[in-house]
Amino acid sequence: MNISEPLATTIKKTVCPFCSYACEFGVVFYDFGIKGIEYIKEGSSEGRLCPRGSAAALYLDHPGRLSMPVKNGKPVDWAKIEKELKKVIEKPKSVAVTFDRNITIEEYESIIDFCKKAGIDHIASSYCEPEAFLNPFMEKSFSIDNIDSAQTIVVLGDPFNQAPMLSKALINWKLKDRKNRLVVIDTIGTHTAAFASDFLRCRVGTEPFVLLGLAEEHVENVNIYEMCGISESIIRDVGKSLKAVKNGLIFATLSFGHTYDSLLLIEGLKKLQQFSGKRVVPFVEFAGFEGNQHFGSVLQSAKKRTIKYLINFGELFPYYYPQLLKGLKALNIYATSPIKRNGYTTLPVALNLEKQGSIITTFGKKTLSGAIKPASGAKIISEILTLMKKISGKGQSLQAPDVKIDTRERIGRLAEKISTQRKKKTFTLLGEKIAYNFLGFFEKEAVKMNPLDAAKLGIKPQDTVSMKSKHGLVNLGAKLTTDVGEGVVTVPAETPDTKGLFDFEIDEDVINFIPTEVELWRKE
Amino acid sequence: MAKRIVLDLDLCCGCRSCEAACKAAFKGEARIRHGDIVGEAYLPLACKHCKEPLCAAACPVEAITKDEETGLVTRSASLCIGCQSCAFACPFGVIDAPLVRHISQKCNLCSDREDGPRCVAACSSGALQFLSDEEIEKHEIGMRMVSKDLFLRRKA
Repeated sequence: MNISEPLATTIKKTVCPFCSYACEFGVVFYDFGIKGIEYIKEGSSEGRLCPRGSAAALYLDHPGRLSMPVKNGKPVDWAKIEKELKKVIEKPKSVAVTFDRNITIEEYESIIDFCKKAGIDHIASSYCEPEAFLNPFMEKSFSIDNIDSAQTIVVLGDPFNQAPMLSKALINWKLKDRKNRLVVIDTIGTHTAAFASDFLRCRVGTEPFVLLGLAEEHVENVNIYEMCGISESIIRDVGKSLKAVKNGLIFATLSFGHTYDSLLLIEGLKKLQQFSGKRVVPFVEFAGFEGNQHFGSVLQSAKKRTIKYLINFGELFPYYYPQLLKGLKALNIYATSPIKRNGYTTLPVALNLEKQGSIITTFGKKTLSGAIKPASGAKIISEILTLMKKISGKGQSLQAPDVKIDTRERIGRLAEKISTQRKKKTFTLLGEKIAYNFLGFFEKEAVKMNPLDAAKLGIKPQDTVSMKSKHGLVNLGAKLTTDVGEGVVTVPAETPDTKGLFDFEIDEDVINFIPTEVELWRKE
Repeated sequence: MAKRIVLDLDLCCGCRSCEAACKAAFKGEARIRHGDIVGEAYLPLACKHCKEPLCAAACPVEAITKDEETGLVTRSASLCIGCQSCAFACPFGVIDAPLVRHISQKCNLCSDREDGPRCVAACSSGALQFLSDEEIEKHEIGMRMVSKDLFLRRKA
């Protein structure tokens, strides 16, 4: 090879796996491996990619990419793991099989099929992000062209960070006609809120009340407007405007640890959909599949030691939710992960970028090309299932038990919780969805706090702050902004460190991460 | 024809796709930065490839030069001594002061990529564009009615 010649490169097209927008992009290979990402104009997002998509190549050839199974921090060979897994599934009654993000529809079906054949009864989704509650709205696919014909769009949360690719269509829609009304409901100031015609900034955890108010629901004994800190006239005006327009949309994104009652929030969205006759469009990272039970009941069975082994397919559990495992030390966990993590028996798996199959997105099913070979040593899920036991046949879907909620009772409970929280003098920690710095690739995460709170604690911008909840302590840089109100602090909930701080509740066997009380001080 | 990266502020949604694309391509060394206006707006700051670049004038070893034909202002990694004069001279603050491998970081408009800068290709809202001087003049950047609301809408 002539040294002056550029290295030969090839580009393989694939689909980004990190949110329900599922943008197309190319992975550029040269002789020595992956060179980077290429932006393909013919794709549905016209080549544009959000920070997560741009970081995809870093994920593919991450230096910590797992190539061998790991047990107690040490690499072991697949044959040993195979033997161990076979022994485990000989006791199917004490095994639970769970799944979280980054599995395809086909993989999900094979897992269910495998469980049925092996006689495993405990099957659940371990995807604990609140956006999994948006599943009921995922049935119908959405077209981005629908934005153009809308006159009012009500947005819950921060879709610019959840699905940044939406921003072009949404901003252009707003700029096209000054009469177009973008309403944002959130507890904190976000990029999406900055573009809103009306920003309904509510008090922490009161989003369900705003939605019920918009839907003109009669709520006894609770002044929902006083609770959420927004006047009745503004809420009624927005609700009426959404109902009156010919075309309108309700966009929903739910952030981790942002609200006290996700089930009531979903109820609020359903009521608003019924009242206005406008569609709820969910923007999620992953459309969670269902098992035959909720994850909370799996954890409760593990506590009682009815379940002794947990096999998780996907890549988040148990690393992302360390607080769920306290008190479950005897539980033997076999988890799949592409990246090296210690503490559990971990099996290296292929990423969605390295698989063939289909995934569910907000815009309908999309096909993964499997154009990239899995990193050496990583297996696709069907290979792992084959190792455990020969399987064949077509899987069937399961349905987790319906959650019946008593709206009136929950409204009372939420009102009580918010009143108690308002009397407390500690800080309330909220999670924030930030597309940039996915998995901590680019910089250390920061805690956002109000400048008045910072002044009281002697904290200046860029100072290191220690933050402690009952689940742990982290040290983060401080970012001062009036985007968050007094007494409130936020962290990007994208890494296990920050996710591990949040409190959770198991309600009707459903796990919900909630705004959490934290102590803060300046780290010397 | 010389082209530049132009920001249409009306469209920027602050997602930092541009910065991620740059960091991913240059192994963690971002050459596009974000300004933070009193904590309420995030704006991409790209190198303007100035007609008379002050960074080049300030460079004691002539590591920064301007290609008159393409308009590109480039920094030679082998000549740069890491004195940071360029970072202090830049009136737009787009050259990052922290050094990477003792070398200052400077945008080269992704000269290795045929279709232009990666930050522009990645921009999720279409706020960053790669335009020639003639195109910039024709373009109604910052001229929309909504730009009057800019600071109001940026306030939380």
